[in-house]
Amino acid sequence: MTNLASPPAAGAPGVVRRQVAAVVARVREQMDGTPGRLRRAAVLAVLVALVFGVTGGQAFRLRADAISAARDDAAQLVRLQTIHTDLVRADASATNAFLVGGLEPAEQRAEYVEALDSAARLVSEAARAQPADADALGVLNAHLLEYSGLVESARANNRQGYPVGAQYLRDAGSLLRSEALPILAALVDANEQRVADAFRFAGLSWAWLLVGSLLALAVLTAVMVWLARRTRRVLNPPLTVAGVAVLLGALVGTIAMIDVQGDVDRVRDGPYAASVAVARARIAAFDAKSNESLTLIARGSGAAFEQTWQESSARAAEQTERLAGLDVDDQDLPEVLGEWTKRHAEIRAKDDGGSWDAAVTLATSTGKGSSNAVFDSFDARSRWVLEKTSGETADRLSDPGPRMGVIGLLALVIGLLAGVCAWWGFALRLEEYR
Amino acid sequence: MTGMSASRTASASGRRLPLAAVVALLGLVLAGCTVGTDYESTPLPEPSRGDAAPPPAAATQAPDCGNPLASYAPQGALPGPGSLPAGSTMAKIRKRGRLVAGVSADTLLWGSRNPFTGRIEGFDIDVLRAVAQAILGSEDKIEFRVITTSQRISALQNGDVDIVARTMTINCARWADIAFSAEYYRAGQKILVRKGSGVRDIGGLAKRRVCAPKGSTSLDNLRKEQPTALPMPADTHTGCLVLFQQGRVDAITGDDAILAGLAAQDPYAEVVGAAFSEEPYGLGISKDNQDLVRFVNGVLERMRRDGEWRRVYDRWLRADLGPAPAPPDPVYGRRP
Repeated sequence: MTNLASPPAAGAPGVVRRQVAAVVARVREQMDGTPGRLRRAAVLAVLVALVFGVTGGQAFRLRADAISAARDDAAQLVRLQTIHTDLVRADASATNAFLVGGLEPAEQRAEYVEALDSAARLVSEAARAQPADADALGVLNAHLLEYSGLVESARANNRQGYPVGAQYLRDAGSLLRSEALPILAALVDANEQRVADAFRFAGLSWAWLLVGSLLALAVLTAVMVWLARRTRRVLNPPLTVAGVAVLLGALVGTIAMIDVQGDVDRVRDGPYAASVAVARARIAAFDAKSNESLTLIARGSGAAFEQTWQESSARAAEQTERLAGLDVDDQDLPEVLGEWTKRHAEIRAKDDGGSWDAAVTLATSTGKGSSNAVFDSFDARSRWVLEKTSGETADRLSDPGPRMGVIGLLALVIGLLAGVCAWWGFALRLEEYR
Repeated sequence: MTGMSASRTASASGRRLPLAAVVALLGLVLAGCTVGTDYESTPLPEPSRGDAAPPPAAATQAPDCGNPLASYAPQGALPGPGSLPAGSTMAKIRKRGRLVAGVSADTLLWGSRNPFTGRIEGFDIDVLRAVAQAILGSEDKIEFRVITTSQRISALQNGDVDIVARTMTINCARWADIAFSAEYYRAGQKILVRKGSGVRDIGGLAKRRVCAPKGSTSLDNLRKEQPTALPMPADTHTGCLVLFQQGRVDAITGDDAILAGLAAQDPYAEVVGAAFSEEPYGLGISKDNQDLVRFVNGVLERMRRDGEWRRVYDRWLRADLGPAPAPPDPVYGRRP
């Protein structure tokens, strides 16, 4: 078919026009009369066979792309949620350390440094992984610099015994809450949307295969019926082979599509949903944790912080309770959170009963069974669940890619073969007009 | 390549509609190749911070309350903790087992949390200890509620605290909402600037950014004395110090006793000029608890008499403000 109208070599415009006119005239002549009608039908049959090949190949390619986009976006989402957790964790360490008074405990300082380091590393990693997030992450980075500067000012003043240190810490916390975390929330929202879109797009790609197959089958059948009537031969073997090849290709392709869609849906509703839930639970729990400290620091004026504690811990509980329904080992997270809620109630009872010092002792002790120990257990367990579910999401979304590639190539080959067969089938009939 | 030649074939046999449709579909498929992972840049949330200009001062006329320093006189000798009048506010506090006090935790010298011990301490705190000692027999039975400058009056009105000891100036506007004890300290408003700034008094602050706590008399006085200065309110004096150290304000104005505590935390700051206002400090107490006001005035009388007032002054202020002056004389005679 390419030789029908291969573009002329470059030359003077007149020459080109004359050559084109000659080709057009020859094509016109070829398409005239009964042989011409046969040729036109042949071109149509070959074209739809090729369309089948291309749409089929395209369908699988798009699906593979969408699935790997879903995988990458899900990984980015986990990265961003981890940054969010790290920041809230750093702030919780800093505020809890402040409550202790005097020089902050070395391990809490280490935890703050580790959390902030991890966040900074992930910010640059996330900016590389998703260029669309780079601008927002740049702004976030500037806020993080300012935040850590304020925390260091707080420390420097605190070391000299100046109360202005506490004010620097308060300013750092409010900068984090009013500036940095909203940016992260926007990033998380955008990436959750991208993952959802990629999953939906993966489902829609099937339409390409469906439309291509139906069109090819319909046209090939019509052409065969038309040819059978015209030539009074019931069966044209090569054309029939073309039709059957397309039919088989469409069936195998559809089965593969449904199979993979099942896998992808199971990932979306299983490990992916679980990783989102546990990440949200971690963010909410760490937020509650720093609000517990802030309530005590505010010392009698902390009603708003306690209110936030209630909301955040309820959100964390709600998310951990979803895990069991998602067929994920939840590591008893709801129970651990319940235990921590009890510890918090004890702290509040002391503080509300006028024993602020006793409340602070409860809130800052790190012994076995203490509030901090229970929370550390929640941290470790939820981290384990997050790593497991997000790893599983990435692995299982990496699986279908190569398979989709092979099947897509197969569809393309079937389309080409069917095209050759169709042309051959018409060539047999055209022979009779020589 | 396939697309190009196909379109030529199509134009050659353009009369055939199905062929054209097939070609169009083919083109669409090829065009669809690039649909994929190019996302639009993630939008940033609306910025929320900003050194927004403060609302203009409410030009309210202070109500006339006679001599603002006049408080309610103590009734007879101060009763001991064991013999508080039945049904009195003091008896209720004793029954509860602790005095609930609104204080500052970051005003050095007056009420600030010692980072080394975690305890709140200062001049105001020692006065509260004397009150707790008189009611409860123990100076430690105090529940501290840390409040900001602007929360002082509402905390009393809501009944969140029994008493406020937080460098609070006695004036008629506040007498409309709460009651005060007799004056226990006389401060004066000054300014704090960077060393070497060349500013020597409030006159030098024209068109400069000056910080003072929201809801303080310092802010009102600044607007009166230097109307061209740009007031920058913060929640507390310490909040002002942070802004000052970050270079976001040029000066802080407040009572000399408070500014001394700020200057002690920053060797590059100095308090300059003469006081341009008189700030008599009183303990804030709810209007409904006149018995507590009378009782507290009795405690203050005793502190002046037995030298406790001077000891407290020496402990907190002598190093920064020099030897103790005579304690302010109480004025009584307010009619309920």
